[in-house]
Amino acid sequence: MHEMLEDFARRNELRETAPWLKLFLGVASILICVSSPGPIAPLLVAASMSAAILLLAKIPARFYTHLLLIPVSFALMSIIVVLFITGGGRVLVDLPALPLAVTTEGANLAILILARVFGGMCSLYFIGLTTPMTEIFDILHRLRVPTVLVDLAMLTYRFIFILIDEAGQIYRSQVMRLGYGRFRESVNSLGMLAGTLFIRTWESGEALIMAMDARCYDGLLAVPEENQTVSGLSLTVALVYIGTMLWVSLTSGGMQIL
Amino acid sequence: MHIMEGFLPSPWWEIWFLVSLPFIVFGVYQLNRLVKERRETLPLLAVAGAFVFVLSSLKLPSFTGSCSHPTGTGLGAILFGPCIAGVLGLIVLVFQAVFLAHGGITTLGANVFSMGIAGPAVAYLIYKAGTRAGANTYATVFAAAALADLFTYVVTSIQLALAFPGTTGFLGAFMAFAAIFAVTQVPLAIIEGAIIALVFKYIVHLKPEILIRLNLLPESTIQRLKETAA
Repeated sequence: MHEMLEDFARRNELRETAPWLKLFLGVASILICVSSPGPIAPLLVAASMSAAILLLAKIPARFYTHLLLIPVSFALMSIIVVLFITGGGRVLVDLPALPLAVTTEGANLAILILARVFGGMCSLYFIGLTTPMTEIFDILHRLRVPTVLVDLAMLTYRFIFILIDEAGQIYRSQVMRLGYGRFRESVNSLGMLAGTLFIRTWESGEALIMAMDARCYDGLLAVPEENQTVSGLSLTVALVYIGTMLWVSLTSGGMQIL
Repeated sequence: MHIMEGFLPSPWWEIWFLVSLPFIVFGVYQLNRLVKERRETLPLLAVAGAFVFVLSSLKLPSFTGSCSHPTGTGLGAILFGPCIAGVLGLIVLVFQAVFLAHGGITTLGANVFSMGIAGPAVAYLIYKAGTRAGANTYATVFAAAALADLFTYVVTSIQLALAFPGTTGFLGAFMAFAAIFAVTQVPLAIIEGAIIALVFKYIVHLKPEILIRLNLLPESTIQRLKETAA
């Protein structure tokens, strides 16, 4: 079972900062990373976001490095393809037996994508590790996202944690009974887990309907609005940061490493 | 098969947002109508969404030893139809991006299209065709879930190849992406198909009321399925 980013979102040092500021900072950094023509700006974003996560929000460094390893497998697989199919420029590495070669342009593109992914992931972690989902729902409400969508998301959110606990219990008891010893058994056990989970889920959904009806549910969930004042200082810092990153991204545009 | 944050350059991530948008808008419209008609749909859809999320955060046993996750949306599509499954997919993908760092915000449009719209549509069509043709229910569910998974990964490869055609052009790039992902995705699709079929079997045996209520299987079919198993 994965360790959830949400656990930290509820007890980090940036918990009291206004959620919309954190969301704005994270999303703006992501957009800068994606649209940056050179690898410098995304790498700077990655460094500063990691610094904010580790020093300001005080997320344990061990947990954070573990998180950074999650996207590695997909990144490596896709980067290899990009590396080989992009041609142009000098040939750097030539595979003797295969008609494949790494050229400077391919390598530059691969480095750029890796930098963008890295910067984007760090910004995403910044949002995930500092902003609890409930506060994001509040922002979505203010942004006039359809109520039915936000309500569905909130109820889904609530059930995720109940189900994860339940799945964990079933999984542990299956492991203790040697349910995952051989490949065939593990497919069977996982099917059993998912099937039981689905039925229990459904039953708890029906119980929820009854509970909500008993409390006069009329198709609308009321959300308490939280006070979201931002100090002038933090707003200025955020805007200066975004401005600087944008400037770096624009000026270091055509710069290439190889 | 999530595309990671930052991987798709402009204008591709914007394009995939635009492609997904009409499906989501239609899904929300349908959802609104359903909820007005029968209030109990909202909690049931919510638990289904949570189920898809939890299923996709489980690690599957995989031949290659790589970390693989089921998509789970195939089941949602069979149960609720492809439009609602798209909305559920959107919500689940946002949670996956923010909680588990699977996928991302700019790549959300592309991921919603491959996992929330294209895959579920295939699952739904196969399931409908299979039941109409009178094929074995479990075999149909297996085929629907497995092929939905495969189709999702084909769409992801197309999305990546369009964004990075390289010197070989779109087709060459598509073949390259498809080949490298096939290593993990083909066994994964088969395993997911088997697991979803097993889930279906448990539902038929333990709580067939769900299937009858959603108008998925008539009572006679369930009776027959129970008898053949016994």
